[in-house]
Amino acid sequence: MDGHVVVSELQKVYASGGTVTTAIDDLSFEARGGEFVSVVGPSGCGKSTLLYLVAGFLEASGGSITVDGNPVHGPGTDRGVVFQDYALFPWRTVRGNVLYGLEENGIDEEEREATAQRFIEMMDLDGFEDRYPKELSGGMKQRVALARTLAYDPKILLMDEPFGALDQPLREALQDHLLRIWDDLEKTVLFITHDVEEAVYLSERVLIMTRHPGTKKAVLDIDIDRSGPREDIVTSEAYVDMKNTVWRSLHEETTQEA
Amino acid sequence: MAGATAELSTALPEPVRAAGRFVVRWFPLVILAFLWDVVSGVVGAAVLPPPTVVLTTLWGMLSSGAVLPDLGVSLYRVVWGLALSIAVGVLLGIGMARSETVEDFFEVFLGMLYPVPKTALVPLAILWLGRGTSMAILIIFLACLLPIVLNSYNAAQVVDQNLIWSARMMGTSDRAILWKIVIPSTIPDIVTGIRQAIPIAFIALTGAELIGASNGMGAIILSAGQLGTYPRMFAAIVLISATAFLALRGFDRLERRVFVWV
Repeated sequence: MDGHVVVSELQKVYASGGTVTTAIDDLSFEARGGEFVSVVGPSGCGKSTLLYLVAGFLEASGGSITVDGNPVHGPGTDRGVVFQDYALFPWRTVRGNVLYGLEENGIDEEEREATAQRFIEMMDLDGFEDRYPKELSGGMKQRVALARTLAYDPKILLMDEPFGALDQPLREALQDHLLRIWDDLEKTVLFITHDVEEAVYLSERVLIMTRHPGTKKAVLDIDIDRSGPREDIVTSEAYVDMKNTVWRSLHEETTQEA
Repeated sequence: MAGATAELSTALPEPVRAAGRFVVRWFPLVILAFLWDVVSGVVGAAVLPPPTVVLTTLWGMLSSGAVLPDLGVSLYRVVWGLALSIAVGVLLGIGMARSETVEDFFEVFLGMLYPVPKTALVPLAILWLGRGTSMAILIIFLACLLPIVLNSYNAAQVVDQNLIWSARMMGTSDRAILWKIVIPSTIPDIVTGIRQAIPIAFIALTGAELIGASNGMGAIILSAGQLGTYPRMFAAIVLISATAFLALRGFDRLERRVFVWV
């Protein structure tokens, strides 16, 4: 499957006013096509930086990132980012936002209207097509952002703590929504979060990053049965064990220097 | 006490509250008219015509239609001066925010233009353009330019990076970002700039017409003053103030309708 991301010996250095800060150092991992990988780490470990590097918004200082063998230089429509603060265009309606990527890629009008409508319905936004972002709640804005990114069909979804600003019930509802659609869409997902439960609940693998400078501490396979409802999953032994393992690994990092 | 009043007013039905606010808003004008009338009685109607006389004169000027060509030409100058300042100001402001060279090129010039009273430039403008409409438009343009440049400059400097990245990842080219993201992002601030510029446009208009025009409201004010027809002079002042007030109100209404997303 397409959407294979390979990060090798990645380094990102910021230099300002004579001081050099290493945000990411010697980080290697891969996400296979269609895989759901979460990245967790203590705050300031450079996990958002990693996402922006893969997105092509930032230029790596060393090492390489490839998508299906092609090196990443700058943003491209094979990758779609979902931001924590939604980053919706306030001057466009819900439909206008979802249409944006389709317009930019020269899809003809009839097809893009149909595609937009499909993703609006997929994210349960029907009836809100003509609303502007300022009229929507946080949860709805994030669903619009997801619909906008999915609509132009990137192979890889890059999600930067997308549910971090939402309250618990809403976050869980969106997590389940994301899992449902991920099953059908066959996309690689790189999901940044600081929430261990979220990472274990959603992902097939979790990359744990070290504290400053960010590099790989561990990659854990999350082998749990997700066929049942949320209550069954989160109370299963496999889930609880995994969660504790990830938590302990992360906890070592957060307490190391404190 | 203030708390008690607030409670009382929220308990009142909406139409009564609206009527109350209307009275509070317009009452200062009634007080002003009353004081004006009293002073007029003291100093004499020849020096300060009473408000009733001024309003009667104004009504006469409007109902006969005699003032309409002058009002029309004044509005024409304001609209063109404003339109030019918006077109140039937005480009300049955004250009300065996005390019260091553009910023360096205009910074000193605009910084020095800012504190100059624009009416001080009227004699020079007359020298270049002659008396009348072009000159007035130039003065209004210069006066309105700065608030619009500053507002669009500030807004274009703080365009949300995530919006730009979002557009880039969806395939928008670096050059198209300006039209598709930067300019729409700055619209709320451009609107603020225009709102600040409207009263300034009328101030500049009147100044320019007082000195350098044979028609328009400023010219009426000057000629009536020189001829000693003070009711006419005051009527023209009231008319231009009311027009500026209505222009701003009209703009706010239009803005709420056009930019519903702001």
